[in-house]
Amino acid sequence: MNQLHTLHILNKTPDHPRFSECLGTLGPDDAVALTENGVLGLVASKALGLVQTYALESDLSARGLSDDNLEAATIDYSELVNLTLQAERVISW
Amino acid sequence: MTHSTPDSEKTSFTLVITGAPYSSQAPQTALSFAKATVAAGHTIDRVFLYGDGVHLASALVTAPSDETHWPKQWAAFLEEHEVPGVACIASALRRGLVDSHEQKRYQLGANNLLAPFAIAGLGEWVEGSIKSTRTIYFHAGA
Amino acid sequence: MGMLIIIDQPPYGTWAGREALDMAFALAAFDQPTSLLFTGAGVNWLRKAQDTADIEQKSLEKNLAAAPIFGIEAILADRTACQRYNLNSEAMIDGVQLTNASADLLGQYSQTAFAG
Repeated sequence: MNQLHTLHILNKTPDHPRFSECLGTLGPDDAVALTENGVLGLVASKALGLVQTYALESDLSARGLSDDNLEAATIDYSELVNLTLQAERVISW
Repeated sequence: MTHSTPDSEKTSFTLVITGAPYSSQAPQTALSFAKATVAAGHTIDRVFLYGDGVHLASALVTAPSDETHWPKQWAAFLEEHEVPGVACIASALRRGLVDSHEQKRYQLGANNLLAPFAIAGLGEWVEGSIKSTRTIYFHAGA
Repeated sequence: MGMLIIIDQPPYGTWAGREALDMAFALAAFDQPTSLLFTGAGVNWLRKAQDTADIEQKSLEKNLAAAPIFGIEAILADRTACQRYNLNSEAMIDGVQLTNASADLLGQYSQTAFAG
């Protein structure tokens, strides 16, 4: 994968205005890390998947989504910490 | 604003929590992130509570016995790893969170700041965002 | 490079936007290059002639007017959000630059933050 430009940490449901604001500012070398209710975007939003998408395993399992065949790489907190350091910048939406 | 690179010898974080406990998942997500940060050998320069996030520093929060007490969990983490925890003074005063100093200054009937949290100005956040390798924000979700 | 503070909350009825303005002023007070981006419902901050006497709150139009004095470099507004809230240039306070909230814009700043 290319150099990670911006990591977007997204914790809002697809119904929150910031969900689409976030998706509207994604660049080709960006990645999205879904946390908390952001993981619900994997079952409700078709707009994800344009860039590399990660989702926190603990938030997926809390919401009964860990067994689903989702278009995201599941990560734990240590991998999330690593991603924030790999990216040139991090934005929490 | 200069940024140290991730490969520099000492990688450090400032964590900013703006979501309140029991009305958002923010303090909980931030604590898991903080634990993973120190487990990986990185430093946390400070934790800054802003907006509704200041409720995390209230000594009067009383959780039902079968629920996690997030202020106490955070206080224990800050003490164990000697991380400064700072609540923004303007956010804190508006929301009824005061230490003994502010209690005297405004002649209030009580104080309720949970140790080891301190109350200070936004300058603490500015310094963190300049100095730390990364500043990560934990907002209320929904 | 500098810091971009995004305000996407309306001016009244919530405090998150005010607290975002305080963050921007604090950065500027410490000589950090800082810009503000209004997007979503946040563009309603930029409407002229806000009269807040009857809701007993400080006028954010007046607070925002102090931004250049505090050293805020630019006040940006997302063009699409302005259209959505029917905010044309005559209705808008002075000194606002229209832009598009995009990857290119955010890429110009070393850090981007919301207040909540």
